[in-house]
Amino acid sequence: MAERMQICNLSEHNFEQCTKCSICTTVCPVAAVTTDYPGPKQAGPDGERYRLKDPAYFDKALKLCLNCKRCEVACPSGVHIADIIQHARMRATEGHRATLRDTMLANTDLLGTMANLVAPMANATLGLKPTKLLMDSVMAIDKHRTFPAYSRQKFTTWYKRHAAKQQDAFAHHVSYFHGCYVNYNFPKLGQDLVKLLNAVGYGVHLLDKEQCCGVALIANGLYKQAKRQARTNIDNIRTSVNRDQRVVLTTSSSCTFNMRDEYPSMLGIDNADVRDSISLATRFIYRLVDEEKIKLVFKQDYKRRLAYHTACHMQRMGWQLYSIELLRMIPGLDLVELEQNCCGISGTYGFKKENYERSQAIGSVLFKDIEKAGVEAVTTDCETCKWQIEMSTGLPVENPISVLADALDVEATRKANGI
Amino acid sequence: MRMDTVIIGGGLSGLACGISLAKRGKRVTIVASGQSTMLFNGGSMEMLGYVDGKAVENPLEAIASLPESHPYSKIGADRIASLAERVKLLFSDSGIDMTGSANANHWRITPMGIAKPAWLTLSDHLRIDDINRLPARRLALMCIRGYFDQPNAMLAQGLRDLGFEVEMIEFTTDDITALRRSPSEMRATSLAKRLVSNSALQRVADQFNSLASDADMVLMPSVFGQTDSSDFQMLQSMTNKPLRLVATLPPSVAGMRMMTQLRHYFKMLGGTYLTGDTAVSGTFDGDRLTSITTAKLSDMPLMADNFVLASGSFISRGLRADYERVYEPVLGVDIDADADREQWTRFGVLNAQSYFGYGVATDDQLRCLKQGKPIQNLRAIGSVLSGHDAVKMGDGTGVSLLTAIAAADHIRENK
Repeated sequence: MAERMQICNLSEHNFEQCTKCSICTTVCPVAAVTTDYPGPKQAGPDGERYRLKDPAYFDKALKLCLNCKRCEVACPSGVHIADIIQHARMRATEGHRATLRDTMLANTDLLGTMANLVAPMANATLGLKPTKLLMDSVMAIDKHRTFPAYSRQKFTTWYKRHAAKQQDAFAHHVSYFHGCYVNYNFPKLGQDLVKLLNAVGYGVHLLDKEQCCGVALIANGLYKQAKRQARTNIDNIRTSVNRDQRVVLTTSSSCTFNMRDEYPSMLGIDNADVRDSISLATRFIYRLVDEEKIKLVFKQDYKRRLAYHTACHMQRMGWQLYSIELLRMIPGLDLVELEQNCCGISGTYGFKKENYERSQAIGSVLFKDIEKAGVEAVTTDCETCKWQIEMSTGLPVENPISVLADALDVEATRKANGI
Repeated sequence: MRMDTVIIGGGLSGLACGISLAKRGKRVTIVASGQSTMLFNGGSMEMLGYVDGKAVENPLEAIASLPESHPYSKIGADRIASLAERVKLLFSDSGIDMTGSANANHWRITPMGIAKPAWLTLSDHLRIDDINRLPARRLALMCIRGYFDQPNAMLAQGLRDLGFEVEMIEFTTDDITALRRSPSEMRATSLAKRLVSNSALQRVADQFNSLASDADMVLMPSVFGQTDSSDFQMLQSMTNKPLRLVATLPPSVAGMRMMTQLRHYFKMLGGTYLTGDTAVSGTFDGDRLTSITTAKLSDMPLMADNFVLASGSFISRGLRADYERVYEPVLGVDIDADADREQWTRFGVLNAQSYFGYGVATDDQLRCLKQGKPIQNLRAIGSVLSGHDAVKMGDGTGVSLLTAIAAADHIRENK
């Protein structure tokens, strides 16, 4: 009987474990800057009790949640507060059509494909003041925002032309889920990963097919499309893991978190058989070094002072340790670990006109910290944090993989690994 | 991943131990699952408040009479005085301004207006050294309109019982009123987030200066300074009366601030703090613990020469109980607890309860026992330990701090 009682005590998202301690609200970046949002305890477990009674109790303020998951990290009782809020939003928007603006922002890969075709024109046009004003008034995309520049050449095009052929020659192999950002905006990050892994004897391959991970689709309420893309991705990841015996690496913390944790919890996509095979590249590389399977040799004359920012989803995964420890292996790198604060962008959230001011207010604590750190650049595992920090502090932001690739003595590393 | 020491638990005890070790150049990782019970702390540390229900005047003296099973006795009563000095140093190094003495308790004031013996109290909080010589005669108790986490009438009555003249003065400012949109979320911590700019503080000070002109001292709920004491100092400089804070119901701003400062100092010393991760199991080799595994670093065991269990009591899930037994969930080490479930509790929720004293069994070096034998490189500190009673003896934070530093010393001595 005892065991039965314990089982009955479990609830969805650990909802029943909430003790109303309010600790989650103390760390909520949104509640800190606006009284329009009652905070995660009220929006999550408290409100859920009402919503269970009658869905009409849904509070529109829930839309202000960033889904940064900081409440879940702080919760001493293991309640999945943000998941409760996200599910309530999902139920409340069922059957609603997303606006054109939200659909456009959410479809990062569609937008990317179109923009790549006309990259110089798209970049120039999107950067023009009249375009920005038009987008601000017609689309409600805030005029302060600059769309990340689109690359002339997609990562996949570069890969097929310049990298694909060499990859089979290596002794070990991985697959790379590059994501939209690397493919359309910043192929260099993908190139840096190939450079780094090749230098330690790992061939890098693309999945048979990859679609946008869908993190922005979920945030904008396009759940059906998100599910379709998630299924495609998990099927292709499965093929890589089972047919090719290759783990799947990523360079974006949000894609990773989304595919590992939000696919099952938000979209009901079962990924249990491959979840452990989806990993951020820094984690994978750190483990190889830690287990003395590979060696990294860095340039003698490398000297930089950088600040590491822990992206919210990185903190939720608890993986910042891997990136930080890996960066600390670079002898000439003076690394400042910033206090863990949200930058305020949260994917597409900060692009929306109605969120702009709040987004900047949320980030202000972090921006001040960065200013105080006296660094030449910031490093973080999330691309949307990158846009926000670059826009708000003027400092360049790089992915840890790019920092490592830049500091790496390729020839010496190849030699050390017997390649 | 290999460390010198891995600490399970990122609360007061885990951080104090981590700081002591990191200060000597050790590589330390703390695994912290969620925020700690320090968010329930009212701004004071207590070494020993009560023995047999009577308030203790001199904790150092009273400690000598504690039973052998008490953590202080395991540390050695003669060592407590020097450890206590090091605790004070640890706070000042972390930027936490606390005052008090280990051989003379002072009184702290609870949110309900009760005076309790304390060892150290934040200097911006109200403390009474001598009940016959109050720090002020007339108090203006400033009551924030719409704020429910300070039971003002009870607090005022408690202060009057101590001999103060108390005038309750309700006030608000625009910044505070804005928070009433979500009345249930108008907490100390949300107020502290609003009351940071000089102009917001000036609006509060203006209220004090105009409403509390008759008082010798202005008393205000502890809703200032999330990250340091500069907001309070600014407010004091704007107020023309001496200003003191009094603890609120949780979540506590003072507790949050102390945790932030300790964590910050630990990281500054090169420590690694894994937020929101949970230790789930350990691997033993004979009488040694070789590694632990956490929920989020699931495929990378954390290896270390030494381990410290600072996972807290039942509320922090460092101890668990089901229908049959009390147990330690991560490493399965031995527990001091009554086997008979009938003995766990006694009638009357406010009476002393046996389970308050339950916890991990240790030897005289704070080493955890497993099947009766000490694990050579695993020590337990803080609330997870058996043999003390934070509620009835007022020794919770003292045990956390003093065992933390004692364990750090043991680790250093037995390389």
